[in-house]
Amino acid sequence: MLIVGHGSTQNPDSATPYFEHAEEIRSRGLFAEVHCGFWKEEPSLREAAYLVDSDEIYVVPDFISEGYFTQDVIPRELRLTGPTSVVRGKTFHYCLPVGIHPSMTGLILRRAREVAPDVDPATTTLIICGHGTRQNPNSAKAIRDQVALISAAHAGYAAVREAFMEEAPFIADWHQFSPTPHVVVVPFFISDGLHSYQDIPVLLGIETDVGPAASQREVFRHNPHALRGKALYYSSAIGTERFIADVILDQVHDFDATHKASK
Amino acid sequence: MEPMTHSQKLAQAIASGTHRIGEIEIQTEVSNGGFKLCHAYDGTVGTAAESGMLTVYDGPAAAREIAAYAEDGSYRFLKGQRNLRRGWLLRLASVEDLRLALDQFYPACVGLWLAQQDGTLEVTPLRDTLQRQSGMYRRAQALDDGALQALVPHTCGSAIPCARRILWQIDAHTPLLPSAASRCSGLPDEVAAAGQAIPLLCREACNHFVAACLASAKAVPAG
Repeated sequence: MLIVGHGSTQNPDSATPYFEHAEEIRSRGLFAEVHCGFWKEEPSLREAAYLVDSDEIYVVPDFISEGYFTQDVIPRELRLTGPTSVVRGKTFHYCLPVGIHPSMTGLILRRAREVAPDVDPATTTLIICGHGTRQNPNSAKAIRDQVALISAAHAGYAAVREAFMEEAPFIADWHQFSPTPHVVVVPFFISDGLHSYQDIPVLLGIETDVGPAASQREVFRHNPHALRGKALYYSSAIGTERFIADVILDQVHDFDATHKASK
Repeated sequence: MEPMTHSQKLAQAIASGTHRIGEIEIQTEVSNGGFKLCHAYDGTVGTAAESGMLTVYDGPAAAREIAAYAEDGSYRFLKGQRNLRRGWLLRLASVEDLRLALDQFYPACVGLWLAQQDGTLEVTPLRDTLQRQSGMYRRAQALDDGALQALVPHTCGSAIPCARRILWQIDAHTPLLPSAASRCSGLPDEVAAAGQAIPLLCREACNHFVAACLASAKAVPAG
């Protein structure tokens, strides 16, 4: 298995979840090898092909949505031509990104309950916050889909909303679309990197300026934050949840069910 | 006969006398079939590890933590940088764990070296790397050969001293100009004998270099 992440040349925490997901799957003994490959870090995707010894490789993008990276960059770098490709004698199966799997819904609800265990959902707005970009509508779609799934699941929240950094509705206006005294914000990102741990807290009003990387902070934030007349609970990125390993395996299972069942 | 796995080839090389990769010394634990890794400069101190001078870690996952920051606290986003910190000893129970650990210290370098030995290593010229870029990186394609040549000594050498041996050229007909970076052998200076060290190979310009090309292209006024 090859888990693909974005990575960062700036933030050492960015790649941590990918290695944790790999370690969790490795510990289950389901695959001969479990490796990680990155866009911005080493090993690069081109070098990852040399990293893997096995002849058959499941590639799972540990990304939150379909978009530029999953549809353009990863296939180009790994030289994939379809769901299954043979490259330099190895067979690559290209799975869908973790963030669009339906089982993410359960993880979001679990994370929301963990961050605000004593709060009644009936008095709470749950906000799923993503990046969003005008460049690609798929970036926001994964989050809108989750909001629809959670609303349909009747989890008891008074309101469930989407919000974004770079498109409307903007996360900076969170209090305006939260009709309740309690608000829980779950960042729909893989890692506690630049966006979820540094940028969004500023947009929410928790911090006044961008702080150091998550692992370098001496004091982690304490919930709830009394802000704009409400009690705000802010969780770490959904991708830091160790059960993402199960979602990765779900995507492999779904790939086989879709592409191998007919053979 | 089944072809040998990467792990088996690695074990065979170590049994035949290979004991270095980059700044790391590889020691075999004869008693239990495991391995010990430490910074090569700590390895030369002899029994420093056993006498408690080194912090002992167990298992391949610790390699990522050891390799993350240099002595001065800077983030080692390029693992080929010659600034691995000292003062640690990593114990590994098997050759599979050794391979996992080495892939954290020097990502894919064992696989690249084995591919080179098998004659299956593909080298990508810099022009081809830049040509397939999309999005904002596409702008880097505008740099001429002189600008690309000028980036190598700084980006791969003086700015981030990288221990990998550069195998790529500008294009099929244009080798890199001589510099400390382009002459780097990928082997430690103090290990001269062939077979004693696994070389660190650079088969294609990394994302860091492509990003430097982009920054250089942006610095040139358009038109």
